[in-house]
Amino acid sequence: MRFVLLGFVLAACTNTPPPPTATRTVCPDPDPDTLTWDNFGQKFMADYCTMCHSSTLSHSQRNGAPLYHDFDTLMGVLQVPDHIDQYAGSSTTVHNSAMPPSECPSVPGGPLNRDCRQPSDAERANLSMWIACERLRPH
Amino acid sequence: MGRRIGFAALVGSFTPQVSSVAFADHEMAMSGHHHGDSSQLSVGVSIEAAEFDNMFYVGSYQGITPSLGWMSQRLGLGATIGLYHLSENGLSVYGPGDAMVTGHMTVLAAETLEAGVALHAMVPTGSELDGLGMGHVMAMPSAWGTWHARSVTIMASGGYGRAVTALGGGRHDHGPSPLVDPMNMQELTWSASADLVVGHGVRVGGRTLGGIPIGTGRTRAVGGGHVGWDTPRVSTTFEVQLGIAGDPFTIRGVVETSLHF
Repeated sequence: MRFVLLGFVLAACTNTPPPPTATRTVCPDPDPDTLTWDNFGQKFMADYCTMCHSSTLSHSQRNGAPLYHDFDTLMGVLQVPDHIDQYAGSSTTVHNSAMPPSECPSVPGGPLNRDCRQPSDAERANLSMWIACERLRPH
Repeated sequence: MGRRIGFAALVGSFTPQVSSVAFADHEMAMSGHHHGDSSQLSVGVSIEAAEFDNMFYVGSYQGITPSLGWMSQRLGLGATIGLYHLSENGLSVYGPGDAMVTGHMTVLAAETLEAGVALHAMVPTGSELDGLGMGHVMAMPSAWGTWHARSVTIMASGGYGRAVTALGGGRHDHGPSPLVDPMNMQELTWSASADLVVGHGVRVGGRTLGGIPIGTGRTRAVGGGHVGWDTPRVSTTFEVQLGIAGDPFTIRGVVETSLHF
């Protein structure tokens, strides 16, 4: 009985991160075209995501990243834009920081052996804005 | 016989997170077949191992779930929490699943027929990001019934489960969630099982259970066969389960034992 009660107490004390939330960022009209895959998205993904979220990695190399969530190409990003916004995007009212996680691999598909670099608040806000605009553009 | 199976049901109803052998995997609780006027305490533990292969994740998990139950005549209470090791797409994590508390009441108790109602509440103690928890409270009222005659017991239940949060908030679909015990945000649940006592305290049986989403989600169905051994104070059951629909898992084995006094 004590073990069960201890389990409940420990579980209750666990810090639960805020749930992934849509930032509901709206791209200005007309699209200012200031944030693009070439000048922002590709580097952001390379810096923070593609060590695990890459189409070149098998399921056992992804360190928990879901299959079909591959951000090494623009088309891959546009498959799951809501996911990216809800886990890593930011706005004036919402700050998602579930991704990147605390630990990252040093090489794509490698073991989790270093602290992840974290985007700045400005980069997260730019991410949400870029996604809001990029998804509306012709591809 | 009914009493022994009832004991297993009692403890099983408290361990739904691991799809307990007797009754679980969101199957709504059935009360134990509790005779007599005195109250009864049950403690149990369930150990499980499963493999899953759905659209987004490939992996396996192992869990141990202690349970605690109390029952007095027609009323019962229970609590349980699973502790897991989960391997998902190459990532290995440890942690608790969602805790479950249960209240149930027998409203009909005839010689061969019993029926009752139950209310489960799941508390989000498991990490949603790691695939160990729903990320929100779930409430699951249900109704159940059992019929037993000679060596045969047949049980069935139906219920409703709902996340105690805003539904349809545009959350991204990651497939069955959480990986260790998937549910829909809102769903109807069902179960049916049959047990046959073959002698010397040994029983064999099978069951099926699942969930049907209300709104978006996945229909989930599980089938399993089990063999159990009951003594006046200890019930032990081993079950092999197969995921039939909705990718809850590919195959899962569960061993559960409970002590009642």
